[in-house]
Amino acid sequence: MDLAFTPEEQAFREEVRTWVHANLPAEISHKVHNALRLTRDDMQGWAKILGKKGWLAFGWPQEFGGPGWTAVQKHLFEEECALAGAPRIIPFGPVMVAPVIMAFGNAEQQKRFLPGIASGEVWWSQGYSEPGSGSDLASVKTRAERVGDKYIVNGQKTWTTLGQHGDWMFNLVRTSNEGKPQTGISFLLVDMKSPGVTVRPIKLLDGECEVNEVFFDNVEVPAENLIGEENKGWTYAKHLLSHERTNIADVNRSKRELERLKRIAKTEGMWDDSRLRDQIALLEVDIVALEMMVLRVLSAEKTGKNSLDIAGLLKIKGSEIQQRYAELMMLAAGPFALPFIEEAMEAGWQGNFPGGATANAPLASTYFNLRKTTIYGGSNEVQRNIVAQTVLG
Amino acid sequence: MDFDFSDDQEQLRDAVRKWVDKGYTFERRRAAVAAGGFDRAAWSELAELGLTALTVPEQHDGMGQGAIDAMVVAEELGRGIVLEPIAQSFVASSVLSHYAPAAMQSAWLPRVASGEALVVLAHQERKARYRLDVCEAKAAAAQSAHTINATKSVVPVGDRADAFIVPAQLDGKIALFLVERTASGVTTQGYVTQDGSRAAELQLVNTPATLITTDGLAALELAVDTGIAATCAEAVGVMDKAVSTTVDYMNQRKQFGVVIASFQALRHRVADMKMQLELARSMSYYASLKLGAPAAERRAAMARAKVQLGQSMRFVGQQAVQLHGGIGVTDEYIVSHYFKKLTQLEMTFGDTLHHLGEVSARMQDTAGVFA
Repeated sequence: MDLAFTPEEQAFREEVRTWVHANLPAEISHKVHNALRLTRDDMQGWAKILGKKGWLAFGWPQEFGGPGWTAVQKHLFEEECALAGAPRIIPFGPVMVAPVIMAFGNAEQQKRFLPGIASGEVWWSQGYSEPGSGSDLASVKTRAERVGDKYIVNGQKTWTTLGQHGDWMFNLVRTSNEGKPQTGISFLLVDMKSPGVTVRPIKLLDGECEVNEVFFDNVEVPAENLIGEENKGWTYAKHLLSHERTNIADVNRSKRELERLKRIAKTEGMWDDSRLRDQIALLEVDIVALEMMVLRVLSAEKTGKNSLDIAGLLKIKGSEIQQRYAELMMLAAGPFALPFIEEAMEAGWQGNFPGGATANAPLASTYFNLRKTTIYGGSNEVQRNIVAQTVLG
Repeated sequence: MDFDFSDDQEQLRDAVRKWVDKGYTFERRRAAVAAGGFDRAAWSELAELGLTALTVPEQHDGMGQGAIDAMVVAEELGRGIVLEPIAQSFVASSVLSHYAPAAMQSAWLPRVASGEALVVLAHQERKARYRLDVCEAKAAAAQSAHTINATKSVVPVGDRADAFIVPAQLDGKIALFLVERTASGVTTQGYVTQDGSRAAELQLVNTPATLITTDGLAALELAVDTGIAATCAEAVGVMDKAVSTTVDYMNQRKQFGVVIASFQALRHRVADMKMQLELARSMSYYASLKLGAPAAERRAAMARAKVQLGQSMRFVGQQAVQLHGGIGVTDEYIVSHYFKKLTQLEMTFGDTLHHLGEVSARMQDTAGVFA
């Protein structure tokens, strides 16, 4: 048992760190470090920079043009990106749909879709949830009816993250009502510019439009956009979920935000307030414990010994920590977290924020926004069901 | 970065587990509690297994093993809620081998290794609570040796131990001494503690003592940190059993015509217990892996670990009782003994509040890379 990374892994970390510092635009990392608004161009700009280096597809095997990194290397890469203030890689293309295309798509589909994902040119969206299908995803109702060499798609998806920017969308659609709900689902790729696709942004509690409703009204989708076999989509979706692994804990980002919390506590004169400080200390312990749990999982992946079935725990704890740091940032700022001045969340805003504490402008929005973390990706209650199943049978 | 155990460590685990399962039954433990909370025969059996020699250097007849081996042992003994304090032999071996003069090492370490000498840390004072830098005990130089006047509390197996490691003020700073129980001026008042194990109030009046080191605070910190790592590991073992016992019970106990493991409110509680167990296990690994780090880093790591373990112990212990219902609060059934052991371990070598204060005081501006 050993905590230290190998010399090779440390050299790899240095290589990534040096490259990220040289290539991450300062105005983007400034926004990330201060939770200011990121534009589509900020997000896609960084994706393209990574794409050019071959690192947007950081999780891919070499045969598909990825770097073929180990689980530890992927972790170190994500950690260095997070600590440097890089925007989160929008996962829908490179992390979610690409592994499905690699595993179940045909050669034609792989040639057609993977290069655009790896380069960051094509923005993908996820079409899973529906108004009536949240945690119970197998109940999806959006229909795809085979007519000749096309599918005719009708229905509605929702909570489509950043779908307003999307070029393509991968969807779970119902192609059969026979048998169990899981058996009639197919995995279908849809060009979002197709006639009949309507994207309607949903304004959330923080005032931002991070998610969307997507309506399909007699949308014609070429049959060649079906991944794998008809009615096998549920299997592919489960494969996709298995690729979320350790990064679902988001521990690297939480480490960065813990630093920010400490900065805010100092600016607000609360660093020596023992009541707040003890809460920050508890959060720090939580983050160390989560990191150790993540490292245990990585170690198990690396050696294949002592395999750990604790992915559900990582999601639960990771999301609770995200909510907690946001909450403590609010508490540190106190009444100066209350003014809702949207322009102050833009980089370079020169106005007068109440109390002069412009850095407090996004705190409440972040706090409100992060309530999503215990809801999405399988709500924490669903995760507890999964954990209980592994423990109790 | 590697969290696998070596084959030797797996064999060590198996050997200790076998002894616990066959040699240290709940009935035997119950009899030991009734007889005062310490069973010298059981201590000798631990010694025969090589456990008292585990971390003693090889040149002093020990096995020269490290913190992870000690962790494995403590965890397995925790599973059996073993009363005999193996952590104290890790503490004594660590302090003596790092700080004691060569002659003292040669005289005592082989006897610690063989189990013949049970040497325990006697550091707690009424006014210090868990602080290590507060010490009223006084030492004075007397001819070739020293004498000590002190009152130390909750000393593990204090009236059955063979010698004590005692911090006392010498020339304005804390020094560490070795005191034999048979020395003049030693009185002990033994009693059973809440978990059924044994402790004593220790009084030293003009008692002859041998100096271990004048760098007493640093040595005491190493002693306590060694104890914290072992305590964390022991707690993981206890929690592991508390969870599995609860799970077994829930899959047997029927109410309203079904097993209570089918109720979602209870299932989610078990998920939360599993969470606390795995966070605790992760931080127990962290503590043992950091035991060899430079003092400042080591101290910070132990405080973090003990905060996590403390919270986990409290939750798992309380919920194991709750999910058992009425049987959980009886003396007859084992789960209440897990709960009491966890309660005591939380309050050993610094409780959660104490260590939260330590983490808070040591907190750095930056988050940095923890591992």
